[in-house]
Amino acid sequence: MFKKSLLMMVSAALAVVLAAGTGLAAGEVKVGIMIPTTGGTATDGKDMESAIKLAADEINAAGGLLGKTIVTTTGDDACDPQQAVAAASKLISEGVVGVVGGYCSSATLPTLALYGEAKVPFVITASNSTALVGANPGIGFMINSTGDAQADTAVGLFESLGVKSVAIVHMGEAYSEDLAKISRSKWEAKGNKVVAYEVVNKGEQDFSSLVTTLKAKNPDAIFWTAYYAEGALLIKQLRQAGYRGKIAIGDGSNSPKLIEIAGRAAEGVYCFSNPIVDYLPAAKGFAENFKKKYNVAPGPYSTLSYDGMMLFADAVKRAGSFDKAAVAKALKATKDYQGIAGPISFTDKLTLARSNFVVLNVKDQKWQLHK
Amino acid sequence: MSTLDIIFQQLVNGLILGSFYSLVALGYSMVYGIIKLLNFAHGDIYMVGSFVGLILLGLLSPFLGAGWAGILVAMIISMILVGLLGVFIQRIAYVPMLSAPRLSILITALAVSMVLYNFVMSMTSGEYKAFPVDLGYEGLEFGHVFITYTQIILVSSTALLMTVLHFFINKTMLGKAMRAISIDQDACRLMGINVNSIIALTFFVGSALACAAGVMAGVYYGSIHFFMGFLIGLKAFTAAVIGGIGSIPGAVLGGLILGLLESFGTQLPFIGSEWKDVFAFGILILLLLFKPTGLLGKTEIERM
Amino acid sequence: MLERNKKKLAQIYGFLAFIALALPVVANNYVLNTFSDVFFYVVVCLGLNIVVGYAGLLDLGYAAFFAVGAYTTAVLTSHFGVNFWLTIPCAIFFSAVSGVVIGGPTLRLRSDYLAIVTLGFGEIVRISARNLKITGGSGGIFGIDRPFFFGIEMKDNIHFYYAFLCLAFLAIFISHRLQYSRLGRAWQYVREDEDAAEAMGINRVRVKLAAYVIGAVFGGVAGCFFAVKMTAISPETFMFTQSLLILLGVIIGGRGKIPGVICGAFVLVLFPEIFRFVGDMRLLAFAIIMLILMLKRPQGLWPERLG
Repeated sequence: MFKKSLLMMVSAALAVVLAAGTGLAAGEVKVGIMIPTTGGTATDGKDMESAIKLAADEINAAGGLLGKTIVTTTGDDACDPQQAVAAASKLISEGVVGVVGGYCSSATLPTLALYGEAKVPFVITASNSTALVGANPGIGFMINSTGDAQADTAVGLFESLGVKSVAIVHMGEAYSEDLAKISRSKWEAKGNKVVAYEVVNKGEQDFSSLVTTLKAKNPDAIFWTAYYAEGALLIKQLRQAGYRGKIAIGDGSNSPKLIEIAGRAAEGVYCFSNPIVDYLPAAKGFAENFKKKYNVAPGPYSTLSYDGMMLFADAVKRAGSFDKAAVAKALKATKDYQGIAGPISFTDKLTLARSNFVVLNVKDQKWQLHK
Repeated sequence: MSTLDIIFQQLVNGLILGSFYSLVALGYSMVYGIIKLLNFAHGDIYMVGSFVGLILLGLLSPFLGAGWAGILVAMIISMILVGLLGVFIQRIAYVPMLSAPRLSILITALAVSMVLYNFVMSMTSGEYKAFPVDLGYEGLEFGHVFITYTQIILVSSTALLMTVLHFFINKTMLGKAMRAISIDQDACRLMGINVNSIIALTFFVGSALACAAGVMAGVYYGSIHFFMGFLIGLKAFTAAVIGGIGSIPGAVLGGLILGLLESFGTQLPFIGSEWKDVFAFGILILLLLFKPTGLLGKTEIERM
Repeated sequence: MLERNKKKLAQIYGFLAFIALALPVVANNYVLNTFSDVFFYVVVCLGLNIVVGYAGLLDLGYAAFFAVGAYTTAVLTSHFGVNFWLTIPCAIFFSAVSGVVIGGPTLRLRSDYLAIVTLGFGEIVRISARNLKITGGSGGIFGIDRPFFFGIEMKDNIHFYYAFLCLAFLAIFISHRLQYSRLGRAWQYVREDEDAAEAMGINRVRVKLAAYVIGAVFGGVAGCFFAVKMTAISPETFMFTQSLLILLGVIIGGRGKIPGVICGAFVLVLFPEIFRFVGDMRLLAFAIIMLILMLKRPQGLWPERLG
């Protein structure tokens, strides 16, 4: 009796898995979205997904892509390398002509080889660890500036503020350690001092002992290179303990949540970021449509994600076909594509040709553009 | 800051962190002492507790404000609710498993933990939630060592809860029954003790304590999310084992020791703070090698 | 009765083996990748089953062995240019050594204390991998070379499908032989009653250590192939949750029972994939199924009388 039900369960499972990735009507074309929809980074992932879908809807409403309707399919990478590989395989098997997305660099990294072998062009809209550049088999197009550009922005800001000694704190995963490392070497190359180089664990809440260490070394500025959740707690605890120096954070921490959690401690914090919606005149219409459709304000990576989808469509049009190699070639040849987050061209390493980093500053519980 | 200042400040940091660990470890140890279950879902109870606290605080703040009065009332109500949740989980998931192999109950606890945090994840779509309280940065300063009033209040309420628990277990009939059950269930049954309801009571108290810790963590740190129970569950488990799992004073002691180990772990000479967890686990392993039952645990002969 | 069961079991195995060999004819890449994962978990679950199921020792840090294997392959091929196939014996050696290191001093601990010590070791291995230079820090090692198998570069899903299928067959075969060997009976004896076993002349420490070492080798070898399949590994893959997942597979299936553990591995991989259609709730659905399975079948999925 039980054996039978077990057998049935397993065969049903098999059937479902086997059936996955079929069923595409004529006149449709599939584009994959790879982002985390579960786990701690799901908020940003879903925000990106919404933006990409909005772009696809707009393209469809305007007559589709080469006469075909775009259907999106989402692969949840859960910000985890292992699950990202499963998600990428699923997208490839579903016959996507291209993929847009990529949030956590560590999850994006192992999928590059898969997309490379399947020749699927992949517009990477958020992940920006420099590790991706070396691992890219020629199909990944990074439209967010890499850690290099961000570190330059950081060093520039610190110098302009007259900062002499810096403490850098990262979270021990690919993205933040990459940024921390590059920033340290660039800062030291200018003859400046890094007085502390520390790491915290993901998910920790209590940074008091780290705060004591930092306070004892009393750096002019503290640079947090990881995400907003832990960053907000660190900022709050630093200010509570009476640290009065400058605090700067990387683009992973660019979120309204950071201000909400850190409260008044966030006042005066500097953030290096790709431009947010409020400071992009071209993104005004996008922000309104986004709000209308999803009833929330667009998040930090939404503009880039929107641009990613639009850029992909643009490349398909330029290539004149859905042939993956032709699309990749067209993407590579992109010259000054006018996205809502700024113009896009690629270097020969397929990274964004310009630095899109700006400096933001928290003033009256809001991000302001720092001049 | 002089070295001495740093040492004192880290001592303060460690004790505060440790008191959170102790509060959660208590529930771990109580449940283990009674039914020999490593309740992996305990950290998630802490997490659920902080979310219930957040919701209640939102409901109550129009009447009581978001100050200490509101927090206190919200905390007491959520302790009761989450305590009942603990009993509910015990009834649904653990009672049917009492005769099953111990590993199976362990995995059931793991499954409960997965259900709890995935449920909260789905409800909050994985978002971090900010706690709408702002308790101020004022505090006492001794030289360079700084303690905020919030920290003082939190540590004293933890101490208060522990004292109440101590009296409950050592001075009341119910507490006596709990202690008796942890020694010999069958004998208790023969003596007319309602074993099942005492076990349920243990779950209630343990979960309520974890909930108190969760609400306090939310108030103190200011943000909560669905995965926050995982790490503290792990730490509380470690703390309970350091103290000798099943022993109530042991859980308190273990929590404080772990908190101190972690805060001094960032001060390690020669190697950086990235090794602090290796340091904490290393000490734990060494301790167990020399004292295999933890600091205050009893030696017993085991049959799987 | 026993003979009949054996015959039945052989039939089931034969049938499944046939299906597994023939699957690539009809399956797409996604299915092949999913099943490579299934076979991978079959190997690691069987490895953990030796420790938990046969010897009855609770191990919460099994991902450490799997990490040792994966990092051995990654470091040797990337930094030293060693051929992939030569890294396997090295990985076996290192994982066996780590089995001794973890097992040796801890075997006199009671089960729950043993659990936390294995957990601690697992975390120490992961954090060390995160902090050391040679293991690539938190970014891990990427761009691991694909191996060649008689001149064919192993890069497609189908190659790894067959590779993991072979590994799974090998693991099943070895587990089977071990279960009915002298050592297997000794494990059972120690598991049921340690003192009586010792009184009967079984060297308890040596027997337990053997379980650790053999279990570790299973994990290590699986890790080698995992590294080349993923081409990138990072410490996040070897978190405590990974160890818990593997343990879940063993217990859900039915510890100590080979077909049960295989079922467990299937459940572990297939269910979260199936529930992809429910979107964000997929892990919740998976968790609820796990809970129900555990409550309905506390002894594991595989029925007692077939085991």
